Amino acid sequence: MGLKKNAEGAGLHEVAVREYPRDLPGLLAQLADDDVAVRRWAARDLGEHPSAAPAVCARLVEEPDASVRAVLFSTAARLGGTAVVQGMIGLLRSEEPALRNGAIEVMAGLPTLVAPCIDALLQDADDDVRIFTVNLLGDLRHPQVPQWLKQVLWTEPQVNVVGAALEVLAEVGGADTLPALQAVRARFADDPYIGFSADLVAERIETA
Amino acid sequence: MKANLLASPLVISDADFQKFAEYFHRKTGIHFDDSKRYFVDKRLVERIEASGAGSFRAWFAGLRFDAAGTELQRVVNTMTVNETYFFREAYQFDCLVNNLLDEVVACKPPGSRLRIWSIPSSTGEEPYSIAIYLLERWPGIDRYDVEILSSDIDTQVLQAAQRGVYSQRSVAQLPQAYLRKYFTQTGADEFRISPDLVSAVDFSRVNLSEAADTRRFRDIDVIFCRNLLIYFDDVSRRVAAEALYDTLNPGGFICLGHSESMSRMSSLFTVRRFRDAMVYQKPLDA
Amino acid sequence: MNEPKHRILVVDDAATVRLYHRKILGDAGWHTAEATNGIEALEQVHAQPDAQPFDLYVVDINMPRMDGYAFVRALRRLDGRHQAPVLMVSTEARSPDVGQAFEAGANAYLVKPARPEAMRLTAALLLGDRAVALQAAQRGQA
Repeated sequence: MGLKKNAEGAGLHEVAVREYPRDLPGLLAQLADDDVAVRRWAARDLGEHPSAAPAVCARLVEEPDASVRAVLFSTAARLGGTAVVQGMIGLLRSEEPALRNGAIEVMAGLPTLVAPCIDALLQDADDDVRIFTVNLLGDLRHPQVPQWLKQVLWTEPQVNVVGAALEVLAEVGGADTLPALQAVRARFADDPYIGFSADLVAERIETA
Repeated sequence: MKANLLASPLVISDADFQKFAEYFHRKTGIHFDDSKRYFVDKRLVERIEASGAGSFRAWFAGLRFDAAGTELQRVVNTMTVNETYFFREAYQFDCLVNNLLDEVVACKPPGSRLRIWSIPSSTGEEPYSIAIYLLERWPGIDRYDVEILSSDIDTQVLQAAQRGVYSQRSVAQLPQAYLRKYFTQTGADEFRISPDLVSAVDFSRVNLSEAADTRRFRDIDVIFCRNLLIYFDDVSRRVAAEALYDTLNPGGFICLGHSESMSRMSSLFTVRRFRDAMVYQKPLDA
Repeated sequence: MNEPKHRILVVDDAATVRLYHRKILGDAGWHTAEATNGIEALEQVHAQPDAQPFDLYVVDINMPRMDGYAFVRALRRLDGRHQAPVLMVSTEARSPDVGQAFEAGANAYLVKPARPEAMRLTAALLLGDRAVALQAAQRGQA
């Protein structure tokens, strides 16, 4: 008993998953395996195969296990590309917060590919999709973010989309945000949260 | 006469501080309140000057919008104190011997093998601290075999760990009795750890972002991954957390640094509170 | 007759919303703490001393890492000492969302943006704070 070394790796349980084929067809098949660990390893190894992006996105919708979903999202983030962006946009409409937020996190890491899609998303008929798009802007490293947010303040009718935009503007707003801020206070004069939020943004903006 | 001789020194306004503190808290979970103004302002000024941005506003825009995200990592580095020494954040070692190992062995027969992994192990203070704790403060060491695995991405620090020579500063937190028992003083500021401990620890070079490296590790019962993940970018951090998850046995534990939280990293682990520490656990039914 | 103040945990990923809710609840004389997602909320729950558990949880649904439903489900699996009413506050008002909240273990649901008196009244009712409930009921548009 006591402190021991184990150079030969004795006594460790055999991990059968390492016996499976690691080529693309093999990995894709394992995405649907009964064993959670098999699916998780397949999800990870698909990160080496750019053409797997659509399959990874499709699996996210069906995958019941949180640990496999987490790895699928990481793989999507690593793969990048337009197929991933399209897949993630689709997930914004999901009923499950975990899928929506996972999608936002992946998209936040792909600013150049996501930027062309933002205008359309901010015009989406679904209030929630517009809210989640603004949430995405909160993490997006793109110089146009303040401009998109100002546009929301001028034209967005739904109070929670505006609230989400004010949240992000507290961080990224500048002196040129002030006119839009005034306008939004007037548009939502009855709403104490919008007033509170607009005041906070004004406080954070340097008017030197 | 140069114009900049007349330039006013950089001052961080209250609004600047709030903006930065809120962003930093959002990204890392670390909370800076007004009592930390001096600490934070000083480092912000240093970063603004080092980056050549010229103003807080311009610097913050770079921090927030620059696609590579490297300034954020530099800021995290400068805002966190990172020094290694024996028995650093020892409350987690207390938790290990008072609670974690007992839970781990509850499902294992006597004579079973336990595996503890220290990554990053840096110059060895952490794995050797664990070894000393096990020998001195865990009664179960007489009933179970324990492997201590010790990994780092940097081969130089691994070599230093295997040499096992430390400064007075590094051993300052050790009780005198342990210092006498496990170290020999070999110089004015030099303490050499016992060769028995060196040979009891398994050292390896591992890059947490490389699946090929982490694949080799499995059946781990407890991981110490302290003050590393906070320095990773968002994607690398998730990948690393997922890799660590895969190396753990169901029910296995992971300890992060005292200012780190899984709430900013990964949703895979369950929060567990013990008397000495809060740690994270891979679900038993995983 | 100095009773200890009620303690409320406000859970929301938006900093402005946390500030707003803490102000509304703080103005009623209650003590508040905050968390930015479900994992951090569980850490806060566990960090409370045994003698000072939370008396109410005000929880957003849409948060990264661990959403409101998952947090409430995890909370309900903990020991009795951590249990307290849950007021779910969310932008979503569709009935499947409300149903899911109650199924997870929530006790009340308010749609954002919450009007201050409505939030205070609902919180007071869940806390059993009659004084604040009366005040809010008389003042407010609940």
